[in-house]
Amino acid sequence: MKNYARKWIIQRITAILLIPLSFWFIYHCLSFASMNYSQLFLFFKSIINSLLFLIMMISMLIHAKLGCETIIEDYVTSKSLKDISTLLINLIVYLSMIIISLAIVKIVLI
Amino acid sequence: MKIILSTDLYTFISILRLELFYLFFLKFCKKNIVKTYTRIRFCFKMTNNRPLSPHLSIHKKVLTAVFSIFHRFTGIALSLGTIFIALWISLIALGPNFFYVYEQVASSLLFKFILFFWTLGIFYHLFNGIRYLYWSFGWGMDLKTVYSSGYLVLFFTIAATFIVWFYL
Repeated sequence: MKNYARKWIIQRITAILLIPLSFWFIYHCLSFASMNYSQLFLFFKSIINSLLFLIMMISMLIHAKLGCETIIEDYVTSKSLKDISTLLINLIVYLSMIIISLAIVKIVLI
Repeated sequence: MKIILSTDLYTFISILRLELFYLFFLKFCKKNIVKTYTRIRFCFKMTNNRPLSPHLSIHKKVLTAVFSIFHRFTGIALSLGTIFIALWISLIALGPNFFYVYEQVASSLLFKFILFFWTLGIFYHLFNGIRYLYWSFGWGMDLKTVYSSGYLVLFFTIAATFIVWFYL
């Protein structure tokens, strides 16, 4: 019960974080369409942009993980399928977190 | 019957009563046994596979329920989209030769089509998410406000998507 309450609170916190950050990201996505590679690279080279992107992506992934887990808990009956799908979600989420942070570190530092 | 008839009326009636009693008792027992059996089975079922929350195929489709279902659908779609954003940023990090793959994909019409639905989904999930956020504080929970805020979410979603694609 304690664990579920914590999950619920984390979901709300990430949701509140994501409201301004996703507006920011969609606003910049409009200019990404006309950018070439070097301009995009320069955009992520600045620390503020890359930091905001990193915060957005990590909170988005946590939010997605919690949401998918609740959906699976509600609709999937068999225990084995539930375990396998939660494991798969955790694997994808942590893997993409590592990929994103490595990519941001590479763009900013190197 | 012959024996019964030969004896007096009193014994006949008492035997009949006994027989009727047994008959009804047996019936009662049988009924009760079936009842308890089904009850036990039901309890076993309840503990074995606990009741699932929303039975989508059974309930009547109400507007609020449809909104909730769409919130979950767009949530799944957007979580698939996050994986693609992760791939995109890794392509940027890898270099211009790898980014060429993304440029090829982005030039197709299907990509634009998917992107349009992605914006629709993200705006829907965002505005409906704000609605759910203030629900979790217990505000605006009466039926009239719920319906009007639902229509407001629909309006904002369509308006925001329209602005993003045709005005900016």
